[in-house]
Amino acid sequence: MRRTRWLLVPIIVIPVTWLLLSGFSRDPREVASPLIGRPAPEWTLTTLDGETLSSNDLAGRPYVVNFWASWCIPACVDEHPVLADAFARFGDDVEFVGILYQDDPAAAAGFLGRYGDAGYPHVMDPGGRMAIEFGVTGPPETFFVDAAGNVADKNFGPLTDAVMAEKLNSIMPAASR
Amino acid sequence: MIRWWPAAAVGLAFAVAALAVITILTPSGSTPDQRADALAGELRCPDCQGLSVADSPTQSAREIRRQIDGLVGEGASDDAVRQHFVDRYGEWILLAPTAPAAWILPYAAILAGSIALAAWLRARRSSNAPPSPTLTEDERRRIRADAEALDA
Repeated sequence: MRRTRWLLVPIIVIPVTWLLLSGFSRDPREVASPLIGRPAPEWTLTTLDGETLSSNDLAGRPYVVNFWASWCIPACVDEHPVLADAFARFGDDVEFVGILYQDDPAAAAGFLGRYGDAGYPHVMDPGGRMAIEFGVTGPPETFFVDAAGNVADKNFGPLTDAVMAEKLNSIMPAASR
Repeated sequence: MIRWWPAAAVGLAFAVAALAVITILTPSGSTPDQRADALAGELRCPDCQGLSVADSPTQSAREIRRQIDGLVGEGASDDAVRQHFVDRYGEWILLAPTAPAAWILPYAAILAGSIALAAWLRARRSSNAPPSPTLTEDERRRIRADAEALDA
């Protein structure tokens, strides 16, 4: 009996430790997107320059949709150069669009003035309808849409160069990589 | 073990009665506004910490509430409204899980653990107890003789 009692220790401790480690090592807001593999939501929004931009304008080309905000610090500041660098390198083959998440256009313009404007368009999402359509829980979140218009991948949190390269692979034509 | 059953039965009776009262007193939500309120209470506010859309004033919660109102106004069923948001956020957006197993599993685990613990304690008690005395025929005869000697 005394020997079997010691068996209880690993039987209880190992699963509990595993549960705690797996629970604490992930962000509870990081939810798997049901949009993966499905057509991306369609949108028509106004850019910070006052022009109208629509998902139809990007039809037939892969594109990256980045939800961000000027108040999202430091995450959006950290990933800003990653997006700028990726746009500079792959902008001929992949479209990039920033969607403001609960942000003021003037504050967003100030952010771009301070940290650099890579040159791709940023659109406003008044009311946050598009964020709901994409199932966004908070910036930064980035969606990778392939040339067929389907969501191929999603990144929760700030992008790094390595993650950006890996995710772009899922939407870019092989010849341009 | 047996002496716990009355207390357990009373506890169970209270739980069933409480559930019945809640079920009877909860409004069924017949008007569009009541339905929208109930649905907003079932959906998680995406940018909050554990709050429902009904309880949150954030822009996302307001937009979801606006969409609920719109869908209910268009005649969508409650399930269709829930599915609209599950299609965008997954089951995570629902504050209560839809799979019955998700409700039953914790209680089943507690019940199984209690049974295992009770069985283990019982086994330990019986192994620690002194062996029950069994008398040989010779001992019986001697005790009987002693008892008769005392009676005499």
